[in-house]
Amino acid sequence: MGSSVPQRNLFVACIFWAVIVFLYSPLAYLMYQAFLVDPNNLSSGFTLQWIHKLLQSHTLWEPLMTSLEIGVASATLSVVVGTVGAVGLSHIKRQLPSFLQTLIMLPILVPEVITGLSLLLFFLLCRVELGKFTVIIAHASFSASFVYFILVEQLRKLDPQMLEAAQDLGAPPGDVFWKVTLPNVIPGLVGGWLLAFTISFDDFLISFFTSGAGLTTLPLKIHSLMRMGISPELSGLSLVMICFSAVLVLTLFSTEQSRKWALKG
Amino acid sequence: MKRWEGLPLPAVFFLTWLLLLTLVPFLVILTMSFLTRTPEGTVQGTFTLENYARCFNWIYVKMLLRTMWLASGATLSCLIIGFPVAYYLARSRGFKRQIGLVLIFVPFWTNFILRVHGMISVMGNHGLINQALLSMGLIDEPLTLLYTRTGVYIGLVYNYLPFLVVPIYSALEKLDGSLREAAFDLGANRIQTFWKVVVPNIKEGVTIGSLFVFIPMMGEYVIPDMLGGAKEIFLGKLMVDQFYTMQDWPFGSAIAGLLSVLLLLALWMQKRWSLSKSAAGKPIAEPLFQDWENKTQEAYS
Repeated sequence: MGSSVPQRNLFVACIFWAVIVFLYSPLAYLMYQAFLVDPNNLSSGFTLQWIHKLLQSHTLWEPLMTSLEIGVASATLSVVVGTVGAVGLSHIKRQLPSFLQTLIMLPILVPEVITGLSLLLFFLLCRVELGKFTVIIAHASFSASFVYFILVEQLRKLDPQMLEAAQDLGAPPGDVFWKVTLPNVIPGLVGGWLLAFTISFDDFLISFFTSGAGLTTLPLKIHSLMRMGISPELSGLSLVMICFSAVLVLTLFSTEQSRKWALKG
Repeated sequence: MKRWEGLPLPAVFFLTWLLLLTLVPFLVILTMSFLTRTPEGTVQGTFTLENYARCFNWIYVKMLLRTMWLASGATLSCLIIGFPVAYYLARSRGFKRQIGLVLIFVPFWTNFILRVHGMISVMGNHGLINQALLSMGLIDEPLTLLYTRTGVYIGLVYNYLPFLVVPIYSALEKLDGSLREAAFDLGANRIQTFWKVVVPNIKEGVTIGSLFVFIPMMGEYVIPDMLGGAKEIFLGKLMVDQFYTMQDWPFGSAIAGLLSVLLLLALWMQKRWSLSKSAAGKPIAEPLFQDWENKTQEAYS
């Protein structure tokens, strides 16, 4: 560059890597614990019995399926609602009234405790039976806003000339939407869906309030296992789940990277 | 109601959804906060301000101040730690930057409860830190980290840090590199450049990012509940306890109502402040949600 801007900064790099160590050590330790004979004693030797036990036990299977079901349903619902909202409101050229902006943002901003408790009271008032349905609706109620913001951004980036071209060539508005707008925002839809799914799959507190007595999602199950102290089953589960999310992120990352490289080459 | 005219049908659908699932439940809890609790723990439909009056009891005011103190301390720490991290990411290029972003985000695609579980197993009396320090002979007795305020504080910073790294990172990324270059060419040193060029340009994004971390921290329930001691109660726990153990729904609702009012006030003040700074009056959420989008795109791409 040949300018006087200082380029290297060892100090900043050190902080970055220290933060990475800070972020990863609890997770790494959880994974390591899964192989210890006594999870509370580092020098107790290694074993595979906890992993074996986890694979044989069925107590976690049902919560996992419940969580997946709720995640898929609420993510799909939020993508539909968020997309409808983004498409509807993106037509408005002038700035949205601030009441509206706040309303859209509120579900994301309000502390989870308040969201959860107010939804609980709302469901009780409506005499809806607490269960899968209420959890799905509760998750979608705030995930939809995330999807909305992601999609609005994507829609704004769309070339208006492309839409005009489609209209000029005689495409009815429905076709313009399904054949031009939607295919161009697929990355946003996929990103939004995955974000909504992760939020739902991860969520403890909102599920805790809105699930009622009978339903157990995976985070609720983990929470109750934790209440009983550190169980070996939990260590095994941690290992599996951390690997799963790392593989998920890395796969998505590497496929996109390899595609980019392939395109360049 | 002129501004509502001509709203397309999809927009109306979305707004109805929001009103029904955000505003109405909030109004329900607000209404609840004005009702009376009977001695048996049920709710009676008589209007009262008693619940709000109770909130100003010194015990609860102390709790509010304690929560505020903790949340602002943790937000500040996230800022101080988050800035160099974001700076490092913004200054690196290409593959290195991608890897850095993924590294910051992988922990946050893992389950929240598991992360808290990880903190417990690291900080506990038989946890990693104590076992390591004891075996190295640096301490004779295990440090008490878990079930103290320090434990809650570390837990908050751990869980919210990335959410502040992202807004700072995008603000820095948008910052025109030639501005810094110009400052250096004109003879400013690093510190001058930082305060006079970098800070004013990223201030708005960083303030909004901080609010989006501070506000959820104010109502945080799980982290203080799992990592904190039984003696020190924070607002989130106080609220939930009213609903689940004390059977005093109106009082719990009043706390929720007051907390929401405080938080909305903070938000409004931020908006006022940024409006007076820049006449443009940008919608408040947009800078942040550009970040969210970047985040999801970058984490997935």
